[in-house]
Amino acid sequence: MSLDGGGAAAPLETAARGRMGSRRGRPSLARRLRRDPGAVIMFLVLIVVCLVMLYPFAFMIINSLRTETQYLNGSGFSTSSWSGLFSALPVGSELLNSTLICAGSIAIILIGSSAAGFAFAKLHYRRQNVIFLGIIGSMMIPVQSIIIPEYVNLSNLGLVNNYLAPILVYSALGMPFATFLMTVFFRGLPDELIEAALCDGFGYVGVFWRIAVRMAAPALATVTVLQFIQIWDDLLVALLLLQEPANRTITVGLGVISSGRAVSIPALMAGSLISALPAIIVYLIFQRYLISGLTMGVSR
Amino acid sequence: MAQAEVEAVGVRPALRAGRRRGRRASGIARQRARAGIVLTLPAFAVVVALLIIPIGEAVYYSMTNWNGITAQWVGPRTYLNLFQSPTFWRVLENNGLLLLALPIAVFIPLVIAGMLHEHVWGWKVFRSLIFLPTAVSWVVIGIVAMQVFAANGTVNSLLGALGLKSLEINFLGFEYSALGAVAVTFIWSMVGTNTIIFLTGMSTIDPAIYEAARLDGAGRMAVFRHITLPLLKRYFQFGFVITTISAFTGLFSLIFIMTEGGPGYGTTTLEFFVYQQAFAIGAFGTGATVGIVLLVIIFGVNLLQMRILRGEN
Repeated sequence: MSLDGGGAAAPLETAARGRMGSRRGRPSLARRLRRDPGAVIMFLVLIVVCLVMLYPFAFMIINSLRTETQYLNGSGFSTSSWSGLFSALPVGSELLNSTLICAGSIAIILIGSSAAGFAFAKLHYRRQNVIFLGIIGSMMIPVQSIIIPEYVNLSNLGLVNNYLAPILVYSALGMPFATFLMTVFFRGLPDELIEAALCDGFGYVGVFWRIAVRMAAPALATVTVLQFIQIWDDLLVALLLLQEPANRTITVGLGVISSGRAVSIPALMAGSLISALPAIIVYLIFQRYLISGLTMGVSR
Repeated sequence: MAQAEVEAVGVRPALRAGRRRGRRASGIARQRARAGIVLTLPAFAVVVALLIIPIGEAVYYSMTNWNGITAQWVGPRTYLNLFQSPTFWRVLENNGLLLLALPIAVFIPLVIAGMLHEHVWGWKVFRSLIFLPTAVSWVVIGIVAMQVFAANGTVNSLLGALGLKSLEINFLGFEYSALGAVAVTFIWSMVGTNTIIFLTGMSTIDPAIYEAARLDGAGRMAVFRHITLPLLKRYFQFGFVITTISAFTGLFSLIFIMTEGGPGYGTTTLEFFVYQQAFAIGAFGTGATVGIVLLVIIFGVNLLQMRILRGEN
């Protein structure tokens, strides 16, 4: 599988296109099913699988449209939990906090990983391999192993309850894999391109900034989507580093409220849907990049 | 390149001397090395300051009896103490039991990917829908799962509808059934990721091989077992490792929401034990010790995978 270049999803799609292409003048569904009963069974099984996978979404939507008593009775509909949502839960400010933290961390990750990825792929220096292995190897470090020193260090710096604290920790957690991904991408850029740019009078840093980064859009998109979903969905780091209710991210806000068990289930469902929505939208738009990023790990 | 090299060498006569001594460090190479170091620096600084140094600190804390107020150096004996604590083994047992879910969490997506790879009608839509939950937070999943496994939840109503009323229990109320509920939710959550990994692997297999097998009269099951599965080995391993690592380090949110580690220590895994010890009880020393044990386990899993991969090549 060719994983150099940004399109790890490419083999998947070319394979798919090849198949579809070979199927000239697609026969009608009914006729194809009659010809191939195995396909009918698989089709039905896949429908059941999808129902199981989508059940939680249906559950959230239906029960967010109920009042507390309607939820317990299991019948009836009402929009009260949606109209009262913003007063019941501080969803608005929490969405803003999540957005700020995601934006800050992703900015740091994009800058750090693209620069280092370019250096590892194209700019050779002594001990480069050791440093590369060190950075990539830290991918293995579980956040739980370092969260205590992280908390102590950041609180000594007076950063607990400051957005900077989770931003820094998320940047560090995301950096190794992002750097790996960018290195793989930049290895696919032809050396001639860089040499030509050098002849045009760019320095190496200039080549990186003016040329390489501009060609790396697909890889940068993959990093952004992967990190967005990971950071938006995280609980532990933001829970410990932002302890004032006003600072909470949407995911932490939901987690804390649900473990308090004092909130009404319909409101909780509406809040859950709101919190899941941005990540779902990003997924639906950038699905291709997310898949290519996830499967990139196989080439290790 | 040549032009730039001439310029660079011209500006820096000192380098020419270096070259004459037989070292091939031309000006351009030095310039390149310097740019490389400058560009590596931001990522390097972030990783060292926020990942590697904290590991060192965690190792230090792990050998103290720091309880949030006072800290005394104890030494490696803290690990011995941990290994002699029954609670630690109870927690480790939960991790072990969760590993029993691994084969299921890999097998189900394998079958789903196999069916999608047959490109049945609408497979692209199925693929998108099956992968969709991957975008959703474990917190949200946990919130729903808590209702699904509640005393009046979906699972119990299903059991009632099937006439198995005697099996209806409050799943999150007992140690092993609560762990089972967490395991089922975990398996469900891994379906999307593993399906996509296997599907990508299958798409790398040359269609010509399938054509040849079909011409030889091999049926769908035979093709899957004798062609797809063996060629999928690498992706299979990757899926297994991802799932193992998730079982050890990805379940914090789920446990925090669904059970808070309980009842008792019924659903406390190593990763949750770190949080509980350090941030709920204040036993930062013990928390750090458990964290290092977790780190060693994760390194072990990765080393094992690398060794298997190397053994094959």
